[in-house]
Amino acid sequence: MNVVLASSSIDGGIGCWDLQTGAEQLRYKTCASPPHGLASIGCRFLACSQLRDPSAASGHVLYWSWSKPQAQVKSFPAEPIKPLAGNSEGSYIVGGGSSGDIYFWEVATGRLLKKWHAHYRAVTCLVFSDDDSLLISGSEDGCVRVWSLFMIFDDVRKQQASHLYEYSFTEHTLRVTDIVMGYGGGNAIIVSASEDRTCKVWSLSRGRLLRNVVFPSIIDAIAIDPGEHVFYAGGRDGKIYIAALNVESTPSNNYGLHIIGSLTDQSKPVTCLAYSAERNLLLSGSEDGMIRVWDVKTKNILRMFRHSKGPVNNILVVRLPYLLSRAEPKVQASSRRNEFSLHPPLEKYANSSDEDMDNRAIITLPDTIDLPSYLSSQLINDHIKQLQQQGSSAAAEMEVKRLKLDGQRSMEMFQQLKKVYDNLQEFCVNELLDGQAIEGSKGK
Amino acid sequence: MVRSKASSKKQQKKGIDFKKIKRKLGRKLPPPKNATNTEIKSKAIVLPEQSVATNKEGLAVSKKGLTLKELLQQTSHHNAKVRRDALMGIKDLVINHPAELRHHRYAVIEKLRERISDDDKVVREALYQLFKSEIFPGCAEDNQGLFISLLMNYIFNAMTNLAIDIRLMAFKFFDLVVQYYPPCFSLYAEKILQSYEDILRKNQFYLEDKGKLKTTLSGLVRCLSLLPSKKPESEKCVSGDRIIHAFEPDTPTANTGFSTIIKKLKELVLVLINCFQDFIPLLNSMPQLDVLSFDCILSMLQSIDIAVRFFIYGIHEETPESICDQTLSSALSKKLLGVFPLYPKHHLSVKEDDRYFILNVVIAAIFLHLRELVCPSTNVFEKFLEFIENALLGTICSSSRSGKATWEKHIPLLLPFIPKLASELETGWQSRILESFTRTFKDCNPESSLKLACLSMIEEMLIPRGYMHFSKASDTVVLDYQTVWIRELPLLLSLLGDKQPSSSQVVLCLLLRLGQFSGSNPFLFGEYENIQFTLSEFYSTCQEGNLYYGPFMRLPRDCQELSICCLYYFSNLNVLLLKSVTFCCLCSELEPFIFFRIIEVLHAAYKAGHIQIADHISFFMTLLSRFKILPENICPVRESDVKVSNHGTFKSLTTMLSSYLSQIGDSSVVFHIVEKAILGLILLQPPLENACAMLRVLIVLDSKPTRLSEQSIIALSNFLPGYLMDVVHCIPEDDVQTWRYYILPCFFMFDRSSKLLKLVLDVIGSFLTDSNLSLPSDTSTRYATDSLSRINATISLLLLIYKDVKVQKIISSFRTEIGSILQSIASLQSSEVKMTLEERHRFQSSVLEKTFSPCEDGGEQPRGRSSFGGNIEKIQGLANSGGNCLSQILQNCNGIFEREKGVQEFVHYITLLEHHVK
Repeated sequence: MNVVLASSSIDGGIGCWDLQTGAEQLRYKTCASPPHGLASIGCRFLACSQLRDPSAASGHVLYWSWSKPQAQVKSFPAEPIKPLAGNSEGSYIVGGGSSGDIYFWEVATGRLLKKWHAHYRAVTCLVFSDDDSLLISGSEDGCVRVWSLFMIFDDVRKQQASHLYEYSFTEHTLRVTDIVMGYGGGNAIIVSASEDRTCKVWSLSRGRLLRNVVFPSIIDAIAIDPGEHVFYAGGRDGKIYIAALNVESTPSNNYGLHIIGSLTDQSKPVTCLAYSAERNLLLSGSEDGMIRVWDVKTKNILRMFRHSKGPVNNILVVRLPYLLSRAEPKVQASSRRNEFSLHPPLEKYANSSDEDMDNRAIITLPDTIDLPSYLSSQLINDHIKQLQQQGSSAAAEMEVKRLKLDGQRSMEMFQQLKKVYDNLQEFCVNELLDGQAIEGSKGK
Repeated sequence: MVRSKASSKKQQKKGIDFKKIKRKLGRKLPPPKNATNTEIKSKAIVLPEQSVATNKEGLAVSKKGLTLKELLQQTSHHNAKVRRDALMGIKDLVINHPAELRHHRYAVIEKLRERISDDDKVVREALYQLFKSEIFPGCAEDNQGLFISLLMNYIFNAMTNLAIDIRLMAFKFFDLVVQYYPPCFSLYAEKILQSYEDILRKNQFYLEDKGKLKTTLSGLVRCLSLLPSKKPESEKCVSGDRIIHAFEPDTPTANTGFSTIIKKLKELVLVLINCFQDFIPLLNSMPQLDVLSFDCILSMLQSIDIAVRFFIYGIHEETPESICDQTLSSALSKKLLGVFPLYPKHHLSVKEDDRYFILNVVIAAIFLHLRELVCPSTNVFEKFLEFIENALLGTICSSSRSGKATWEKHIPLLLPFIPKLASELETGWQSRILESFTRTFKDCNPESSLKLACLSMIEEMLIPRGYMHFSKASDTVVLDYQTVWIRELPLLLSLLGDKQPSSSQVVLCLLLRLGQFSGSNPFLFGEYENIQFTLSEFYSTCQEGNLYYGPFMRLPRDCQELSICCLYYFSNLNVLLLKSVTFCCLCSELEPFIFFRIIEVLHAAYKAGHIQIADHISFFMTLLSRFKILPENICPVRESDVKVSNHGTFKSLTTMLSSYLSQIGDSSVVFHIVEKAILGLILLQPPLENACAMLRVLIVLDSKPTRLSEQSIIALSNFLPGYLMDVVHCIPEDDVQTWRYYILPCFFMFDRSSKLLKLVLDVIGSFLTDSNLSLPSDTSTRYATDSLSRINATISLLLLIYKDVKVQKIISSFRTEIGSILQSIASLQSSEVKMTLEERHRFQSSVLEKTFSPCEDGGEQPRGRSSFGGNIEKIQGLANSGGNCLSQILQNCNGIFEREKGVQEFVHYITLLEHHVK
């Protein structure tokens, strides 16, 4: 089940609708998010940073499980966090602070694994590459930086290098408002939008500017088409512009070079965009609290969701786990136990006493257990300990699995034996019958 | 023939089998004397073309009538003069027939290349000129690699020729080739360096002929400058129209072959150093440093400089340390740096001083590069530091104009080392160097390239790129200078004015970077905030009531945009700067694009918390109330005037500001702030457009029922009647769109507050009483001032009100007020005392005109009834105004309203009216 999630800067909770049917689902309560502050962590739960009044010294990040409207876990990082992002498996959360620092937490333990000074001013957006190895951050100072996580966690290389980032793109003159990334890992393109009325297309492999598109208004949100033919840019003048990535556009059109058209319906500024690849839908959130679902081909509005009075500033399209969407209470209960009992709140500071412990990541091959496959060795040690004590749920589960396997094997054995027996019987019967027949013929 | 011979032989053998034939050997019978020679001999008959008669039509010929083929043949003639003439002929031909060269270029090259090692000097020179002026420019776009490879072997051949002149000429040729096809150096680098080395070793010649040495050395400098270096300026090529996901062909990187030449290059450097050393005694013996020897020495030093840079920063496998081994470094430090500084033995001319200065600068640059590898001893180092300090201060150079020019040209060579020196030196030297640098920065001409070089160094020192770390102890020293630099920037902007936009752009870029960076450094943060005061002059200044626009207004658009972006990064935008920016906004010469950009950026800054809400709102209000609309009067808003008028801009400004204001926060709070501001401004009687814009903003923020306070309703009720009447007065009746634009906000207000409508109607009624009309001092209206136009306006206003369905519904509950207005109109008509006959007639005819014209089309409209009713009502009022009983009229009116009478009724009243007028 694909659901649309939306949050607003004014407390209206997180709205949740079924994209297919349009039915409203559970509304998650008390959430006032900054732009790019809402993230679904590996489709297992929702995390959202919270807007706080400027005087507040610490940030505020909330977790919701899919099944409960109340926030389940509250954490208070050391400074206000604006953008949040999780890697695709949901094992790490990254947050951008208002001082320009980036925080890197492990979800399973809540430990702050790394924190580094990334920008001169507040971080405004964070994006993971689809292979999770690169992190791209945009900031209020107009800078877009590309970080390699290998570099971030490599202390030796870090000291040798003059800078941490892979690339630093400084061509934007004002705040970066949104970043999207194309496909192709390290060879992908990224598109960044800024308040200087431009969107810029960068190459990750060559580390340079490929294209500069100037729009008639400030662009606050962008979404990229999965074929990378065009990207959509939502402007403050209420239009969603379509800018070409592939074709050479004719310079004599209404909007400017590379802009090939627009989707319009509203006069209110567009604040966020999301693309649902499944049915080629574009979702736009606007200042008036509405979420519009556009059919990209026909440029018509298919559906509208009303979120709240205030501006919508985050939209996510999430594929809910199958188990959850079936809504069987029993299964939910067990999955919730899996999800939530495991996740402690995010830590405020990097624990110095942990420094001596090895926090290298261990990469396991993906297996059947629905645990993330990137785990720090400490976490794995914990699991081992639990297994040894035979007390944990995971251990019990594994025991069950082992027993099941045993049972299966026994069944196989039984089948085999049965087959042998059948064969034997048939043979005997044949023998007997044959013998009788011979005797009979003899007797005749 | 052969066959017959064979057969005859056979026959012979058959017949005479064993017969011995005696033959005499060695002797032959002489041919008989009378025998005829039957042999036929032929010879090729060469008929040289008869020059007069040959048909050369259609062929390209030179002035002397020779074709290219002939000319090429002549180039190998044994007579030098003919060869030269042939070359001249080719040149001539190619100039007149460029296509000829394009078609036969390989043939031409193959023939001409033989002449590179020609014995005759004149021929070589002619060949050089031919190549330089025609052949290379003509073949520029072709497959040059092949083209060049045809030539190169001959050039190398000539380079090893015994005659020194030919060798030198070969270098000249090679120099030409490199100019047109730079990659050829990388292809033949090793061989070329070897040749240079060989020729420079022959030290006897250069002392004789410095002119030739100079050309050779300048060629060497050109070649060496093609060596790849690690510090390339980031190429800013935004190729906009390419396809993003396109395949890109791999261009062969030119620097692949350079790792192998390091050894050769090292030898060359040693030779150059020796060469330099040979020159030194010569200098001392000479009375003065002449131009040629100066150029030679300079080229040598430059070559060494480039080579050293390649060793240290170049892209190659070997480490710099392994290259600069004992032999090289000792040679460099003893023979080159040991003689530093060079100074004239005899002070003869100012020019000479400058020449020595240039040489010293280059040596200092070499030294500073070398410092990366070899740590110099302290006293040598200090010698150089002293030189740098003096050089920066300009004390070494002569003070004449040419001296100043040389100084400006050559000082940038030393500047790149300043940041590194400043970060590494101990406090004493650090402050001396920084001081002299700051002096250079301040003193140099704002439009010079030196200023730009200084600016880029300042950027490097202000905004660290990771590798720069000022030590803690020296922080205060550096901070002092940083303060000076930062404060200098806005002044520099004012100095530059609009004379050199490119320099202004560099300064603005630096300011922007500074703003972006300032967030993380508390010191810079404070300094950047302080810039605001001086920066405001860049936009505009207000002195003694006069407004002076700064350079901002005259700069090109991209500079303007950059400077606007700088505003965003002030964490607390002060009122002075905001004011001066506002003045710029209000200037009618500002482009609309920049105008909207300013508003956009300032709103973004507000959102980021950089502008206080009170300042921000008052900025908006100032724009609304003081924006000057051209042309001043609203009437002629026609398509033809679009060019001069900025109505469109102002309209979009209004919508923009109202949407921004509604985004600011909770609308009721914002409304209360804005309400107060707008009412204060509106009572000052602004021009109609501005008043309309303010009303529009107000209704966007308002809701139904209204949030307006009691006082403001009263204030508005005093303002609106005048406004409405002015609008009606000024806008022609048929311009429906325009009057809707101006009146609609009022209708919205009436819709939201019926109390306001009542008050407004009361005021309109009171306008029309005798006492008010006679008062000329009443200033509530700007245009409709005399009584006649006021009555006209009132009537058309009422008509407009009746046309609008929504307002008409509301107004139906204010019959008494309407009645009293009508009564006053009626009584006004009856009071004949004050009007002359003519006036009265004019008035009546205008009333008629006004009432009829909308009625006629009103009958056809779907909602004709309402306008009908309204008109009939008024016509009736007028018709009976001759002192009839008013209440009866009103009753009739109401009756008409309710019963909805048809056209007959209308016609009836018209006749009634007509009757009365008569």
